[in-house]
Amino acid sequence: MIKRINFWVIFAFLVPLLVAIPIFTVFLSFFDTTGNYLDLLKDTFLLKYLSNSFLILLGVLSLTFIFGVTSAYFVSFYKFPGVNFFKWALILSFAVPAYIYAYSLVAFFENYGTAFSILTFLFGEGDYNKYIPKFDGLIGSMFSISFSLFGYVYVLTRASFVFQSHNLIEVGKNLGLSSYESFFKIILPSARPAIVVGLSLVAMETLSDFGTVDFFSISTLTTAIYNAWISFDDLTTANQLSFVLLFFILLLFVLENLSRKGAKYHQNSKGNKPIPKIQLAGSKSIFATCFCSILFFCSFVFPVSQMTYWTIKFPKYFQDINFWSLNMNTLLLVFLSSLFLIIFSFMTNYGNRVSKNKLISYLSTFSVSGYALPGIILAVAFITFISWFSDFLSSIFGLNSFKNVFIGSVVGLVIAYFVRFFSLSYNGIKSGYSKINNSIDENAYLLGYSKLKTFSTIHLPYLKTNILLVGVLIALEIIKELPITLILRPFNFETFATKAYSYAAQDLLEAAAFPSLCLIIWASIFILFISKYILSEK
Amino acid sequence: MEKTMNKLIRVIGLAIVGLFSTLLVANSVFANEVNVFSARHYDSDVQLYEKFTAKTGIKVNVVSGKDKALQKRIKEEGKDSKADIYITADAGRLGAFQAEGMFQKGASSAALKKVVPANFRSPYWVGIAKRARIIYYNPKTVNPSWNMSYEDLADPKYKGRVVIRKSSNIYNQSLVASLIKNNGEKNTAAWAKGMVNNFARKPTGNDRAQILAVAAGEADWAVANTYYLALMLSGKKGAEQQAAAKKVMPFFPNQDGRGTHMNISGGGILKHAPNKANAIKLLEFLLTPEAQQHIVNNTFEYPMIPGVKANKLIAQFGLDFKQDLKTKVSNYGKLQAKALKVMNEAGW
Repeated sequence: MIKRINFWVIFAFLVPLLVAIPIFTVFLSFFDTTGNYLDLLKDTFLLKYLSNSFLILLGVLSLTFIFGVTSAYFVSFYKFPGVNFFKWALILSFAVPAYIYAYSLVAFFENYGTAFSILTFLFGEGDYNKYIPKFDGLIGSMFSISFSLFGYVYVLTRASFVFQSHNLIEVGKNLGLSSYESFFKIILPSARPAIVVGLSLVAMETLSDFGTVDFFSISTLTTAIYNAWISFDDLTTANQLSFVLLFFILLLFVLENLSRKGAKYHQNSKGNKPIPKIQLAGSKSIFATCFCSILFFCSFVFPVSQMTYWTIKFPKYFQDINFWSLNMNTLLLVFLSSLFLIIFSFMTNYGNRVSKNKLISYLSTFSVSGYALPGIILAVAFITFISWFSDFLSSIFGLNSFKNVFIGSVVGLVIAYFVRFFSLSYNGIKSGYSKINNSIDENAYLLGYSKLKTFSTIHLPYLKTNILLVGVLIALEIIKELPITLILRPFNFETFATKAYSYAAQDLLEAAAFPSLCLIIWASIFILFISKYILSEK
Repeated sequence: MEKTMNKLIRVIGLAIVGLFSTLLVANSVFANEVNVFSARHYDSDVQLYEKFTAKTGIKVNVVSGKDKALQKRIKEEGKDSKADIYITADAGRLGAFQAEGMFQKGASSAALKKVVPANFRSPYWVGIAKRARIIYYNPKTVNPSWNMSYEDLADPKYKGRVVIRKSSNIYNQSLVASLIKNNGEKNTAAWAKGMVNNFARKPTGNDRAQILAVAAGEADWAVANTYYLALMLSGKKGAEQQAAAKKVMPFFPNQDGRGTHMNISGGGILKHAPNKANAIKLLEFLLTPEAQQHIVNNTFEYPMIPGVKANKLIAQFGLDFKQDLKTKVSNYGKLQAKALKVMNEAGW
């Protein structure tokens, strides 16, 4: 046992522990004072918050299910005009954060908004406001979040469809099932694990969303925690609300994990010939093309056009932006964070692999908490923890305060991102690792390779694609990240996301358009860069 | 294969060097600086800080963000906080932060006391610009009598014709706090119920969206801050909104009584400010005629000091209306929780 405790194992133990700190902080800081926010909340709003969160979740899950599964089904099994284009174009929706989608939605449909301008341009002056549909904030949030997240369901479902056993479908056909029947009886059930994984990712992101619901001023569990904790300093309430939220998220997480396990049994068709795609004709083909076109249009073309339209219409705001420093800041954060995340995920994974210790493996599972916790709550928990820790060390050892090293610095940002996205990176690397058979390691040790050498000469080269994939996923998240960046950043430090937010906050969505557009372009470049791996059919 | 390892080591080394160099830049000490935490996001404020630097040689560093989150950061950083000044819109927020003991005295220096009216400052913070929260109406459908008040908006005869944003909004909380101060909690609760009965729609959108709802005929009456109309009239929001804004008239209520509800953008010096002297200089600069002129022309707020003229887009609606100078703005913070409760209970 003692022999097993080495550098790697300690690593595998410490990193997840670090990542789990915010969640402990959220709970531990709730044991002292309290206010009267809960009474206020109980009488009036608590039910409302819960029902809002629940309604948004329900709406988003339904919409992403319909969008994601339907499009994946068409693209995987059929040939129709544009299918090869839609296959990758649909994942561009990842490039548009839900809050920027929300800006576009409001700007387009508001009284005298873009829709009004278009109608005026086409048909001359008129009283069009009555005919332009108005979105309730709740509906608006649902659509914004759904269009920006359905990609998860699409990508995972499609991967599962592509690898689905051709034989099963053949058997179904021989039994006389129509394509409609075989979809519901064979294809959908066997893709269920993948769909559930996709939906639970969507659910976690939806529950922890702050930017979108805040923009629409919809009160949800997350905004309630924020208010209770930050505005009212009412820790008991925040604690109770966090508990409800975490319970939700934990449930999802368990569900997701169970489905991932299930997925292994279903994806057994490797080596089978790829499923031949059926050529659609007539109205069916038109329907498939229309569905994918509308989805692509709504999820990507619409927000991009709205932002482009503004950028061109209001060129003045263009000049106000320090384009160079925005690019540099965004890329600096992306670079540093992906680097550290990947290195540490690697080491943790490797430690896990060599230790085979159950506790460590549970601990790393627990480290997803960073992802499950809303970014804004995590940021505040981070600040609270650092302050407490610094004060604690000062009082005991008389150390100088190190708050300024971590709060309001790039270092602090990178660490907070680390905590938030560690599970993304850890699981990404893990999925690659699980494909390397353990016997390979044992052979290497027999050949006299040290652990370090096994790691660097065998594992590292084998996992190149995974590294690329994980790196880009992290980059996407960080480019879009808003609440953590906003509160933890240094003086005079802006990214595209914070710049867009700050214009939106002064009611100048027109000026927010250019930074938003840059953000989307950067994200799209990253997506196109890895699309061939995401969409691999091998 | 050693190569891979070497590469790895090199990359890690590079990253660490990168990290520390950014650390150094982030923490480098400018001897002559002032650090501003701001919940106001105007680019024009940043231009103003540049002018200040050009004049005094004092570098201004800024972090902007959401009001409460910034406050939390300042509180947690405690005595290690580098922040000197906290700037935010709404006296309610300044008052609430002051109540937590986060400001030190000194914001209203002798020079500032001379120019800023007593109602818009305290020893802990000082107003930088003013705004009024007023009524807007559709002149084609309704015509307010000269003495119409906020209180009148709850009159059942306006059923289904009033729009205003949500109760979670700080401007509404401050307005309702001022009503509580003047009319008492019970009367204000009844008023809030009347308001909710008169709503043309569930509260949605920001202040500008309320004005647009009147322009589009969804409602006859809206409550919103003054500068939103000027923003639309300025053309910064495009020709359509400029035209829409012209369909709506602003109305300054309560001329018969205490006057129109006023609020401020303001700033205070933080308890642990490392550069207090510079902070006072910056606040004093923001209240010079030059800086005030810049502010009112960019944000369309009202100037805080005499001798500066409001932007013409806002001045055209009259500058001689009676302002509520009786209700001290410091009440907005004190009565904030009550205001929220009253609105929540009315289903606002």
